[in-house]
Amino acid sequence: MIAALDTGALRELIWAAPLAVLAVTVAWGMVVHGATRAAEASRDGRGRTAGLYAVEALAGAVMFAGAIVVGLLIMTTKS
Amino acid sequence: MVIVVATALAFDFTNGFHDTANAVATSISTRALAPRTAVVMASILNFVGAFISIEVAATVASGIVDAEIVTTTVIFAGLIGAISWNLVTWYFGLPSSSSHALIGGVVGAALAADGTRAVLVDGLIEKVMVPALVAPVIAFLAAGGAILITYRMVGRLRPGLVNRGYRLGQIASASLLSLSHGTNDAQKTMGVITLALVANGTLSGPSPEPPTWVVVSAATAIALGTYSGGWRIIRTMGSRIFKMDPAQGFAAQAGGSAVLLTASHLGFPLSTTHSITGAVLGAGAAKRLSAVRWGLAGNILVAWVLTIPAAGIVGALTYGLSAIFGDGALGPLLIAVSLLALMAAIFGKRLRRGPALTTAPADA
Repeated sequence: MIAALDTGALRELIWAAPLAVLAVTVAWGMVVHGATRAAEASRDGRGRTAGLYAVEALAGAVMFAGAIVVGLLIMTTKS
Repeated sequence: MVIVVATALAFDFTNGFHDTANAVATSISTRALAPRTAVVMASILNFVGAFISIEVAATVASGIVDAEIVTTTVIFAGLIGAISWNLVTWYFGLPSSSSHALIGGVVGAALAADGTRAVLVDGLIEKVMVPALVAPVIAFLAAGGAILITYRMVGRLRPGLVNRGYRLGQIASASLLSLSHGTNDAQKTMGVITLALVANGTLSGPSPEPPTWVVVSAATAIALGTYSGGWRIIRTMGSRIFKMDPAQGFAAQAGGSAVLLTASHLGFPLSTTHSITGAVLGAGAAKRLSAVRWGLAGNILVAWVLTIPAAGIVGALTYGLSAIFGDGALGPLLIAVSLLALMAAIFGKRLRRGPALTTAPADA
């Protein structure tokens, strides 16, 4: 017969997948929000504000890239 | 054995063009990617993804039917059941699970071959049905949550810049989804060929690994199938369920990718179609319930419910027909030739009517 259902893995699926979606959503949301606000602030001549929003966009981009790397690692390291 | 391997690769090809929509429909719909660019990208990443892991292949090969009663004829009949269902649902433009079709076909053939003792019901429920039921629900909720968060973050910004940003994000999420599709679906064919090789006595051992030629041929078949594009299903997934904006497309793809990647990591033979369709519905329903064409969603749900029994019936009938000709290759050969002739007739008829099934529509 086969092995019993791996409830631990199923539980992991239930919490890990939404968490991953949340992380990716927030990360890319920061990129879009930061970049859009930075562009608007820059056009209005508010240099410092534009810089702060650019930092937000950059932080989001780093998080997003990190999420993609984690996804790739999951694919490449499973046994 | 050669006929079975060829049929398995044919299934892999249908799996590719049937599931192209999962990876690229939302990107094409929101114009993040041009149709042909999208399918080329998806086919390359499916090919690469097929080499990344063989964990799902091992799951498919060991847990659904009793390996001791499986013959190459059973595998062949199961594949015919799966291919038939894939073609029927593709013809009607309905996204349905190639994984379930494959499992249903093999289960039906095994039932015809050896009765109910051939099927590991616990395995079917615990390793396939439960994850497959859970996946679309998780994807629906995750994508719904994602789009609500997205609108909260960027809802008051200028739409032009926001849409451009999410179209860019969709290219990344579509790439990840294509890659994860390759890690899941090509491996199902690897698992079936491995099962056939075990049944044929070519491979042995408790957990046989797919040989390199199996991995390469399965990766190639799914990549070619993906490149062919299943435009009818792309249209259904991308614009017929609801007309999505780039943020919704991104949320659906991110939701589907996350569920599939997590499942792939855990070794579940999860349906890409169920995950991404659940995510698409979630991204639409969270914005406005009435935006979703629930009648169409209901048709898709009916197709999902029918997948295993319908593929199973065809698998059982195929096994029965094949068994009339004995244990040799004559039965499978005649059935394979008949199926090819039927497919050629259907394609020929459709091509004479117009290019709707085989080329990218202008509005896709």
